[in-house]
Amino acid sequence: MIKRKPHIIVLVSIALVLLSVTLLDEKPTTKNAFSCLTTQENFVAGKPIAIEFKGNSENKPQLFIIHSYGRTLLDGVLKNDKIQFNLPKNYALKTGYVSWFLIENNKEKAKGNFQILPNDETKTNLESYLGPPSTLAGDNHYVMFVTIPTDDFDNPKLPNTDVAIKHQFLNSISTDNEKTKDFIAWKNIYAPTKSGIVLISASCNEALTKEFDAVIYPSIATDFTISYKRNHEFADGNQITKLTTSILKDKFGNTVSDGTMVTFILKNKENAILKTFGTTIEGIATGQILHPEKENKYSVKAFVNGISKSNSVEIAYKSINPTIAFSFSKDNRTITVGPIKSFMNQIVPDGIKVNLNIYHKDKLVETITENSNKGKAEFYLSPEFYKEKNYRFEIETLGKIIKTKEINVANQQ
Amino acid sequence: MSLINNKNSYRVFLLASFIALNILVLYGISSILAYLNEGADRSTMLHLDKETANTYLPKISWKSLENPGREMEKQTLATLEKHYLFSWYIKNNALKNNTDEGIGDYFTENPRKILDTIIKNNKADKISIESTTLTHNPKLEFYSEDGQLVVFTDENVVEFQNIYQDKKLITSVKDTATYKVLMLLEDGFWRIRHCERMAKVTDTLKAETNEKTFIVKGNQILKNNKPFLIKGINYYPKNSAWDMYGDLFNLDTIAADFDIITKAKLNTIRIFVPYEDFGKAEVKTEKLEKLKQVLALSKAKNLAVIVTLFDFYGDYSVNNWTLTQRHAETVVSSCKDFDNIISWDIKNEPDLDFESRGIQNVKPWLSEMIEVVKKAAPNHLVTIGYSNIKASEILKDEVDVVSYHYYEHISLFTDKLKALEKATNKPVVMQEFGMSSNKGFWSWTGNSKEDQAEYHKKMQVIFKEKQLAFVSWTLYDFPKVPDGVAGKWPWIKSKQKQFGFIDYKGKHKPSFLYITN
Repeated sequence: MIKRKPHIIVLVSIALVLLSVTLLDEKPTTKNAFSCLTTQENFVAGKPIAIEFKGNSENKPQLFIIHSYGRTLLDGVLKNDKIQFNLPKNYALKTGYVSWFLIENNKEKAKGNFQILPNDETKTNLESYLGPPSTLAGDNHYVMFVTIPTDDFDNPKLPNTDVAIKHQFLNSISTDNEKTKDFIAWKNIYAPTKSGIVLISASCNEALTKEFDAVIYPSIATDFTISYKRNHEFADGNQITKLTTSILKDKFGNTVSDGTMVTFILKNKENAILKTFGTTIEGIATGQILHPEKENKYSVKAFVNGISKSNSVEIAYKSINPTIAFSFSKDNRTITVGPIKSFMNQIVPDGIKVNLNIYHKDKLVETITENSNKGKAEFYLSPEFYKEKNYRFEIETLGKIIKTKEINVANQQ
Repeated sequence: MSLINNKNSYRVFLLASFIALNILVLYGISSILAYLNEGADRSTMLHLDKETANTYLPKISWKSLENPGREMEKQTLATLEKHYLFSWYIKNNALKNNTDEGIGDYFTENPRKILDTIIKNNKADKISIESTTLTHNPKLEFYSEDGQLVVFTDENVVEFQNIYQDKKLITSVKDTATYKVLMLLEDGFWRIRHCERMAKVTDTLKAETNEKTFIVKGNQILKNNKPFLIKGINYYPKNSAWDMYGDLFNLDTIAADFDIITKAKLNTIRIFVPYEDFGKAEVKTEKLEKLKQVLALSKAKNLAVIVTLFDFYGDYSVNNWTLTQRHAETVVSSCKDFDNIISWDIKNEPDLDFESRGIQNVKPWLSEMIEVVKKAAPNHLVTIGYSNIKASEILKDEVDVVSYHYYEHISLFTDKLKALEKATNKPVVMQEFGMSSNKGFWSWTGNSKEDQAEYHKKMQVIFKEKQLAFVSWTLYDFPKVPDGVAGKWPWIKSKQKQFGFIDYKGKHKPSFLYITN
C-alpha cells in the first residue's frame, strides 16, 4: 500500500500535467478570433499603409484585398502576437476604397475596409481637353473645356477641389472658379459675337495648363448684293462679264470665312439656266461669264447654298450688228464667209461661231459649224456628200442670218 | 586494296558532307526567306469591332442618362457599355491568367502601368484570382460636348472571386462596391482613364410586392393561404424524355398525359428546362413559347409546377456565370405571371458536381442564382433538388423549400428525414424517388414490376402517415434514354428506362395503384 502511493501520486501528477498542457493548447485555438488593431480609416496615397491584427498567427493568415485596379493576396509579417500586412507600393499609390478580408485556413476571419485619398502634398497635374476645338460666333455656340486635376500619382483629386478656368478674348479676360465633381472641373466657354481666337487655360494649386485656343469662326453668311462689271455691252461672244458679291458678312458683322462657296445662277431669255461659281476671299466672291454671241438678257442671282441669297441683277447684251461678206468659189463648192466686221468695223475676234445651214428644196440638209479665223470662215461642200445640183444657204453668225438664193454647185464637172 | 577502299570511303564521306552542307545552306536560306515573307495579317491593322456576345453578360442597367454635358446617344451608349464590360472581362482575365492580353485596348497608358505591376506581382506570388462581376448599375455623370470623355458611377457592382495560390483554393469572396469611372474615346475604343473604387451605396430599390399564390409558413407551403401538400410526379412525355421541347413537342400528347396525372389525383408536376437546348444566354423564343404553353396547359388542368432550370448544364466556371444568369433571368421573368408555379428548382442534383467542378464554383453559383431567380420572379418560391437527404442541408437558409431526392433503402428513410427536419424548419419536399422495374435480360437481380409496386405502396404509407410532400420519378417508362443522362452502358440505360408507372405501351404497371395516397 505504502509502496504504491508514490506511483499513484506520480500518475496523478502526470495526468494533471497532461491535462493542463492540453488545456493550454486548447486555449488559443478556441480563441482564434482576430482583432484589427488599425483604426485609421483614411490613408494618403504614396505613404506606406499597414494593417495590423492581434491574434494567433500560427496558421499564417493572409489578407485578400480588393483595390480600384486589382486584387491580391498578402502575406503578413509576424511581430510578437501581432501580424502586420503591408500594402504593396503599387496599390498604396492609387486612391479608392480598399476592402480587405483576413483569411486563415481557407476561411474568412475578419473583414473591413479603408480609404486611400489623393496626396495633396505632391505636385498637382492637370489633364485638359478642349472639345470641340472651334465653333461659330455667337448664338449660344460654345466650346467645352474639361480638366482633370490629379495628384502626382495620377489620382483624381477629391470632389470640390478648386480649379480656376480662365479665358481671354480681345480685351476681356475672365476667370471662373469651378469645383471638381466626378473627377473633373469643366466650363462651357460661349463664343463671342466676334470671330477670332479665344485662349483658355486652367490652374489648380500650383499647376497650370498650357494655353488652349478655341477658334471662333464667323457665323453663317447673311443676304448680300451682287454687281457686275464688263468692258462693253455688246454680245460679241468674246468679252467677259465679272460678277462680284458685296462683302459677305454674318449677322454679327464678321466677314465670312474665306472659301465660302457662292453660286451664281443665270437665267437667259430662253429660260435656260447657266451657272458659275466663286469662293470668297476677304468676304468677296467673283464669278465670270462669257458674253453671249447674240443679243440676250441675263437675270443673275447668287446663293450661298442653303444659307443666304443675293438680290437679282439684270444684264442686257446688245447685238453688235455685224457686217458679213461672203463669196463663192468658182465651182461654188467653197463658201468663204467674211470678213465679219464688229461694231466698230473691226474684224471680229477669232473663234466666233459661224453656222452654214444647207437647204435643198427648202429642206434642211445639214448645218456645218466653223469658227472664225481672222474674221473669216470657210466651208467646203464635198461633191461626195452634196450630189444635188442646187442648194440654198443660210449663213448664221453673231445673231444675224444671211440667206442666199439657190446656187448651182453641180456645174463644171 | 584497303588503301583504295579507304580513298573511296573518304570520297564518299566528302561528297556526302558536301551534299549535306548544301542542303543545310538551302534550308537556311529558304527559312530566312520564309521568315521575311511572313507578316501580320493585314486585317489586324484595322481595329475591327470585337464580338462581345456570349463572353460576358453581367446584368447592366443604366440608372440615368441625364448629365450636364452632351445628350447621350443610343449608339454611343451601346458602344460604351460594350467596351466598359469588356474592360472588366479583360481585367478579370488578367487577374486569372496573369497576362496583359487586351489591357492595351481597354485601358489608357497610366492605368495600364498600374495593372502591369499588379499582374507581375501576382504572377510572382503565384496568385490567380478567378473573378466575375454580376451586376452593374451605372449612372451617367458627364458626357463631354465633343463625345470623347465620359464619367459614370457604377453603383453596387457585385463582385465574386475565387482566390488561388499555387493552384490551391484559398477562399471565395463576394463583395459589393461602387466604381467611379472616367473613360476616353481613343481610336474607336472607350478606354479607362481613371477608375476609383468607392463604398457601396444604399440600395433604394425595394422588392416588388407581387401577389403570391404560394407562400411558405413554417414548414408548410400555403396556396392562397391554405396548406398545400405536394403530391406530384416528375414529367417527361413518353417519346421525348429529356427532350421535351424538341421536334416531338406535341401539346395534345402533353394534355392527355396531364389528364392521366389529374385523374390519378396528383396535384403537381416537375418539369425541366435544358440550358443548351434553350439557347444558353440568348434564350430561343420558340423554346420559351413551348415552355409557356406547357405552363398554361398545366394551369388549365389545375396542376402546380416545379420548374427545374439548368438541365444538362455543368460548367459553373466563374467567368461564365454572367451567361447563365442571363439565361435564368430571361426564362424566369418571362414565366413569372404563371401563378401555378410553386417553385423554381435552380439545378437538378448540383451536389453531384461538387467534386468534378469544384465546390468553390458550384455553391456560390447556386447561391447567386437563387438571388437572380428571386429578383426575376419575386412571387415564386425557390428550391434546389439535391441528390440525397444529407446534401439538401446545403444552402438551406437561402432556399424557400428544401428539396431532396431519395433512392436509398426505405428502411433508412425515416431516420434520415428526422435529421433533416431537425436541421431545418422550412418545408421539405421529396422531389424524386422511385424504383426501376428493370428485372430482365440486363439485370437478373433487378426489381420486378411487383417489387416496384410494393416499394411505392410502402412509401405512400409513410407519406400518408407523416403528411409528406412527394414528387415521384416518373410517369412513363421511356423507350429511349439519351446517352447524356445515363451513359452508354445498356444495363444502366435499361434501369433508367423503367422507373415509370406506365409502361412503353401505355399500360398501367402494378405500381400505378400506389401513385398517390
